[in-house]
Formats: sequence, structure tokens, C-alpha cells
Amino acid sequence: MAEDIIKEFTSGEYKEGFVTDVEQEFVPKGLNEDIIRTISARKEEPAWLLEFRLDAFRKWQRMPQPDWAHLDMPEIDFQDIIYYAAPKKDKDRPKEIDPKLAETFDKLGIPLKERDVLAGVVAVDAVFDSVSVTTTFRKTLAEKGIIFCSFSEAVKEHPDLVRKYLASVVPSSDNFFAALNSAVFSDGSFCYIPKGVRCPMELSSYFRINARGIGQFERTLIVADEGSYVSYMEGCTAPMRDEQQLHAAVVEIVVEKDADVKYSTVQNWYPGDADGKGGILNLVTKRGICKGSGSHLSWTQVETGSAITWKYPSTILKGDYSASEFYSVAVTNNHQQADTGTKMVHIGKGTRSRIVSKGISAGVSQNSYRGLVRMGKGAVGARNYSQCDSLLIGSRCGAHTFPLIQSLEPSATVEHEATTSKISEDQLFYCNQRGIGPEDAVGLIVNGYAREVLSRLPMEFAVEAQKLLQVSLEGSVG
Amino acid sequence: MGHGKYIAPPVGQYQVQAGEKLELEFVVLPGESRDIDVSIDLAGPGAEAHLNGLYLCRADEKVNFRIVMHHRAPGCKSTQLFNGIAGGSAQVSFDGTIVVAPDAQQTEAFQENHNIVLTETAKVTTRPQLEIYADDVKCSHGATVGQLSEDELFYMRSRGIPEAQARTLQMLSFLSPVIPAGREEEIERAVRSL
Repeated sequence: MAEDIIKEFTSGEYKEGFVTDVEQEFVPKGLNEDIIRTISARKEEPAWLLEFRLDAFRKWQRMPQPDWAHLDMPEIDFQDIIYYAAPKKDKDRPKEIDPKLAETFDKLGIPLKERDVLAGVVAVDAVFDSVSVTTTFRKTLAEKGIIFCSFSEAVKEHPDLVRKYLASVVPSSDNFFAALNSAVFSDGSFCYIPKGVRCPMELSSYFRINARGIGQFERTLIVADEGSYVSYMEGCTAPMRDEQQLHAAVVEIVVEKDADVKYSTVQNWYPGDADGKGGILNLVTKRGICKGSGSHLSWTQVETGSAITWKYPSTILKGDYSASEFYSVAVTNNHQQADTGTKMVHIGKGTRSRIVSKGISAGVSQNSYRGLVRMGKGAVGARNYSQCDSLLIGSRCGAHTFPLIQSLEPSATVEHEATTSKISEDQLFYCNQRGIGPEDAVGLIVNGYAREVLSRLPMEFAVEAQKLLQVSLEGSVG
Repeated sequence: MGHGKYIAPPVGQYQVQAGEKLELEFVVLPGESRDIDVSIDLAGPGAEAHLNGLYLCRADEKVNFRIVMHHRAPGCKSTQLFNGIAGGSAQVSFDGTIVVAPDAQQTEAFQENHNIVLTETAKVTTRPQLEIYADDVKCSHGATVGQLSEDELFYMRSRGIPEAQARTLQMLSFLSPVIPAGREEEIERAVRSL
């Protein structure tokens, strides 16, 4: 019985696992300076950006791949990856979106047409392999002075802004995968909210990997100027394949004085099959800086996909009295591995941070929380509270907690607590006895466990995330 | 090995067999720099280990704890409580790992590390870690780094307790769960010297 459920789950529950059949252009496989020049030329980039890429590439070549994470990482052959793939444009109608692509995003529930305001007001930047297909509501947003477009367009239309902020939070030499991204990044989203503007709708990026053998290297840059507000969402999916694919993104967020940024992710990359074959290697660097006083940055993430997740959304609390939060639910099933957490670096006076991390591991997966809370000298009266809980489902999975707390400031206060437990027989029995099947009962208990984080998601995401949790854990009891 | 109490900071490797109980007490007094490396294997079913530690630093001491608690068998219990106060330009680090092996079901493991920092030049790093490969477990750890509460101090001073005495009381109450029996006076003297 249990085996049947597991089989059913692994045979096709990942409903985003289809492939879109479109004609695509590729650059040759492999990575060298010529490839980087080709990518840069294809995107018609200015010379300074090509220099930035080449510089990052040279740094990357001298860097070793990090191995400190609690992950069993397969060897990645960086010469066996295609670094740029774009769907071919119809020559007669260069402005229009290929109907096949529109259909793909429609199937994924991502509207590329600006529908009625009533249908949910979310502006989308849709990225397909290495290029942005379209960005919706650009005009409406532009009326308020908000810039929301693909990264490539931003380079052409707002070079000064891009140049000012690019790599200001994540330098190109920050780490191995950030350096790789800086060298070969293709597309992503750029967003600038001017002074005092409250963004009237949710902004979002949707990343889709489609072509075989490619890696996706997107770059997102969000700048919230003084006193502004924006809520940003990110989603992603990929086809089901037997071979693993690399996704190495960089997200940079600059939060100026009194600005407020909310960044939410629902990560649903293909996690591989029940035997751990295939899946996305999700190796991502995300970092924000609370630059001005009173600024606020909030991270919320629901991680259900990917064969391997290596991701630590972090905040540098530089401005006095700035605040940041990190809310995370990470689910691993089958052979998935996740090493995720956050870094809160307190520099300014009276800075506050809060970390709530909920890990759920099932099958033979490994799920780690890794975090850093650092109270620098001068972070007078700074405060942190961290709570990291792990839930184990099944006796062959692992749950790990690796927090690091550093304090150089006597007036700072840091609190950390972590628990690990399993779903108790009593809880299950209670549900079963009331006519709730084992699968539903686990879903119910897990949703309750993760509620504190799920309730932080924007409404559009919360429903999807709850369903995802259920699907990700299907077949894990029995 | 396996039974008994140790007065001097006990270091090294311990094997605790089925049904045995190990109790260790660690005391690091002002002026002592210590590297305390302890590795404990709970090797047999139902083995227990209970660790209590306190450390006091007032100058440029370097105190490093590295504790590995390995639950290798089912039904084992471990508790750890380490409280310390760092003043002067002391450097304190606490590295505590709890590992629960795949078949060590019904494990109960708890670890806490609390620190009070008195001066701007003292540095505290704490790194409690859990590595858990079994599912029927109850494990938790907690760590805090903070300072003496101004409110408590005010409460005592407004009732006529001199500041120095009030601070000593605060520190003693913070340390009280880990002060070994029979060493109360010695610890109190040390706290007064901070």
C-alpha cells in the first residue's frame, strides 16, 4: 500500500515537468572568455559590463568550489553546460510573444497579458531559459516612476542606475557561484522604486528552465529608494529530466532610509525522481543591505523543489534602527538535499532581526539549517531572535542545525533556539480516529507546523505554497 | 570510567556503556585560559551523560569549549548546560555538537549555552549544532548572548542594595544552575572579582 502511494507520487506529481517545444538558439557548450564575449555581444552590452563579466570570470577561475555545506554535491562539469539559450524570435513579428511561450506560462498560471485589474494585480517579469519574454504592467508602473523591466533592458535604458548598484551588495568575488553568475548571467529582473513611492501592486519574477543541457544564471537587482515600499515575489519551475541542471542566481537588494522591501520566494524546481536522478542544483546567493536608518527587509521563502539547495538569503543591517526578518519553510523528500538558512550582520545601532526557520525532511533526504548572527562592534542595543525547528518524517532522513552566533558588542542580545522532533503517533491517531486519512493528516500537521511562515506570504502565494507542501510530502508516510 | 564527578575541567574521550551514567562538571575561573575538548560516546542503550559548565573571564583569557555528544545507541539521554560571563578582553568560544546516529531512536538530547558579556572588548562566539539522522528523537538546543539586565539592577538598587552587590547577585543567579555543590563560596569570590 505504502509503496503504491510512493510510486504514484513519484510517477507524475510534479505537474510543471513538461517541456515546451520551441525553436531555440544556443551558444556552444562550454565556458571560456569567447563564450562570455558572445553572450555579451548578443545582448548588445556596453563595454563596462563586458569588462565586469571578464573580471568576474578571471576571479572565478582562481576560486575553489566550496565544500563546507552539509551536501553530497555531484561533480559539476562547467564545460558541459550551455550558458545561453533563447527562443527564436519570429522575424516578421519581432514584437509579439511566441504563442507557444504564452501558452507555457499560461499553463504555469503566470498571466502574460495585462488582464483585468480584478484578476489579481501582479506585474510579472517572465524569464524563459536565458531571456526575459515579457514584463507586464510596465506602463502603469512607469506613471509612478517605478522602473520594472528585464535586466537586459535596464542595462540599455538605465545604465547609470545599473552601474551604480550592480555588485554593490554581492561583489563579483563574493563566492564561487556568485563569481560564476557575474561572468555569465543572462537575464533577470531590475526594479527601482523612487523616493516615497508605495508600489501599487505586487511585482514578481518567474523563472522557467526549458532547454536540455543549459544552466540558468539570472540576476535580480532591486533598489528601494528613501521611504518607498515594494513587495516582490519569485517563482520557478523546470521540466523533468534524468540529468541534473545548474541554476546559479544572484539577487541583490538595496534598501535606503525608511524604505520597506518584502521578498518572497516559492521555489519549486524539479526535485529529481524517487531514486534521486535528475533535478535542479539550486546554488543561489541572495543578499540585501538595509543601508539607511529605519529601513526594513523581510525574506520569506518556501523551498520545496531542487535536488540540491544551497541558499542563504542574508541581510546587512547597516542603517541605525533598521530591521530584517527571515521566514523559511524548507521541505525535502526522497533524495533531496537542502542546506539553507540566513545571515544577519548587525552593524548599525538598535538593529533588530528575527529568524524563523522550519525544516521538514522525509524519505532519505538531508535538511540543514545554517545561519550566522553577527553583532558587530557599535551595534549598540541590537537584538536578534532565532528559532529553528526541524520535523522528521521517516527514520532514514536527517535534520541538522548549524547556527553561528558572534557577539562583539556587550549591549547586544542574541537568542537562538532549535528543536527537532517527529510527527507523533498520537497526533496521527487523533486525526485518523476522526476520519482523516494518513496523507491528509500529515498535510494538516505540517501546514500547522509551518503556519507561522506561510502566513507571512502574500495572498497570491500562500494558497499555492500550502498545496505545494502537501504534494511534496505525498507518499512519505505509510 | 562512566561514573563519578570530576572537579578539574575534564577533557578527552569518554565511552558510556549501556545503563551507565556520566556526570561532568566544568569550572573555569578568572585568569585561566583553557582549551576544553570533550568527546562523549553514548555507546550502549540507555546510557546517559549530564554536563554542567561555568566559566568566568575578566582579563585576556581565551576559553574554548569543543563538545561532541555522540548518541550511537537507542534510548540514550544527554543534557548540557554551560553558562559563562566574559569581561575584560576575553575571548570565549563554545562549539557544541550533538550527533544522533541513524538507529539511535528514542534519543533525548538537550544543550544550552548562555553568555553574559560585560565589556566592549570581550568577544563571545557560540555555535551549538545538531546533526540528526534518526526520527524518533527529542532534541533541542538554545544559545543566548546578552548583558546584565538594567531593570533588575534598578529594582535592587531602589531597594537599597549597593550596585556592586546587586551585580554580584545578578551574576550568581545567572550561574546558579551550574555551580557545583560545595564550591559556592569559591565561585562567589570569583564573581566578586569580575
